[in-house]
Amino acid sequence: MNWTTWVPLLVLAAVVWWAINIYNRLIQLRNRIANAFGQIDVQLKRRHDLVPNLIEVARGYLQHEASTLEAVIQARGLAQGAGRTARSQPTDAAAIGALAVAEGVLGASLGRLLAVAESYPDLKADATMASLSEELTSTENRIGFARQAYNDQVLDFNNAATQFPALLIARLLGFAPAAMLESTQSDAERQVPRVQF
Amino acid sequence: MRFWDHQENARTETRRLLLAFAVAVALLVAGVHGALTLAWWLMNAILPIRLPFPAGFMAVNIGMTLFFILGGWWLETAQLRAGGIKLAVRVGAREARPGSSYAEHRLCNIVQELCIAANMPVPKVMVLARTPAINAFAAGWDASDAVVAVTQGALDYLNREELQGMVAHELSHLHEGDTRLKMRLAGMVFGLELVHHFGDMVRERRGLATLFGSAIMAAGWIGWLAGQVLKAAVSRQREYLADARAVQWTRNQQGLGGVLRKVLAQQADTDAQQRHHQELNHPSVQHMLLVDLDGAGRWGRWLDSHPTLADRVQRIYGRPMPPLPLVRQEVVMAEQPLRPKPILQPGPNSLAAQVDPFARFL
Repeated sequence: MNWTTWVPLLVLAAVVWWAINIYNRLIQLRNRIANAFGQIDVQLKRRHDLVPNLIEVARGYLQHEASTLEAVIQARGLAQGAGRTARSQPTDAAAIGALAVAEGVLGASLGRLLAVAESYPDLKADATMASLSEELTSTENRIGFARQAYNDQVLDFNNAATQFPALLIARLLGFAPAAMLESTQSDAERQVPRVQF
Repeated sequence: MRFWDHQENARTETRRLLLAFAVAVALLVAGVHGALTLAWWLMNAILPIRLPFPAGFMAVNIGMTLFFILGGWWLETAQLRAGGIKLAVRVGAREARPGSSYAEHRLCNIVQELCIAANMPVPKVMVLARTPAINAFAAGWDASDAVVAVTQGALDYLNREELQGMVAHELSHLHEGDTRLKMRLAGMVFGLELVHHFGDMVRERRGLATLFGSAIMAAGWIGWLAGQVLKAAVSRQREYLADARAVQWTRNQQGLGGVLRKVLAQQADTDAQQRHHQELNHPSVQHMLLVDLDGAGRWGRWLDSHPTLADRVQRIYGRPMPPLPLVRQEVVMAEQPLRPKPILQPGPNSLAAQVDPFARFL
């Protein structure tokens, strides 16, 4: 065999090897996005589990704020229902959108409850409330961080899939750039929240 | 999005420095051989004899040097990888007790939150309960014995955001494998040091051995110094990387920025600093700390494992910032009463708080 036959073969082998590597890397990054999405769900469940305890403690001190507590309970029920629907139809954009809205309402009502609790020194001084309040702060952070981690993974994937030589493989094999989570999903949500006392 | 660029820079710089490290080792091997050749020539020039180079002169020189470097590397690494938790306990850390103290409950929550942001397994959380200075360290060879330890001073003086920034910085060291990298480099430098010691040992035999021993010693010393300088430079780049990572994960400059500015204020009182850091003055922990112990410049700047605080603050904010006055928590919180999410802050450090750590939060 002379060099005119084996040099092209060698080049071809190198190109195939390179393409396989790129492909595996893209698959790996795409799986990480799926995993990051699962994390958000885990943290939302944590928030739902926390609400009954919080209400239980707050109810003793907040007799005059029944409507605030009721709003939280209602929002939790709606969010749980929306979560069940979204889990059964994970590809349905409308279901995901409804879940985002329901979770937004729950977050807002919890925020209102904490703001109200501020003006009740007895409640603020309650040790259980202090630790629940810390748990709630942490849970809100976890949800935020889980969304942020999802977006960071999407960024990694998009960087890998849209930079030059890898772009060829990504286009050839149909890797579309992934979409990031927006903090708001609808026009109604994007409006400044109305605070009622 | 400056922090992405900072991360990219730090990674590129680290790669360059590690390459330089490999070159330094190769140069040391060549240097030992060169020094011994020179010594042989000198011997021939001074003494009235003419000897050819012994058989396998070069192979033996290179083989012996590599044996010392790699052997020392292997020995020291095997010793260092004994465990992050063991090391933390040795400098006085104990496991955090989220059930018994609000501050430690919060700390454990913060670590778990950030592990979600970083997409990594949760390390063990420990507290240095007897250290009033603001500091923290991360240690561990792999995920199974990774540990993040925070001082009591940090728990007392930092608010939730700042504690988050500090923990994020330490988690970056674990996430990027810096703790392992630093142990490997420390092992390598020990290997280079062994060459120097071997030269010293040969020299003790007197006579002609003094000449050859000195040659090995000189080459070994230069190699060791180069190793130290490169190790410190790598370490500084990893600090920049961890700072940028902390800003990425918390998406908040005020967090880590606030910590560093408070440490700046604390370091102004150097006397107190010396006293406060007694427990942390352990050689195998020093390079893992959030901020190193002696911040003063000397020619030792080259050997410092951390960049200056002012430099780090400038990178985080994009401009120089003054130190933050080191006041008790509640005063800082009183200046910004309208927080969107109310967090319970510790109250004055009363007599009751000395007995019952929870009393400050009631």
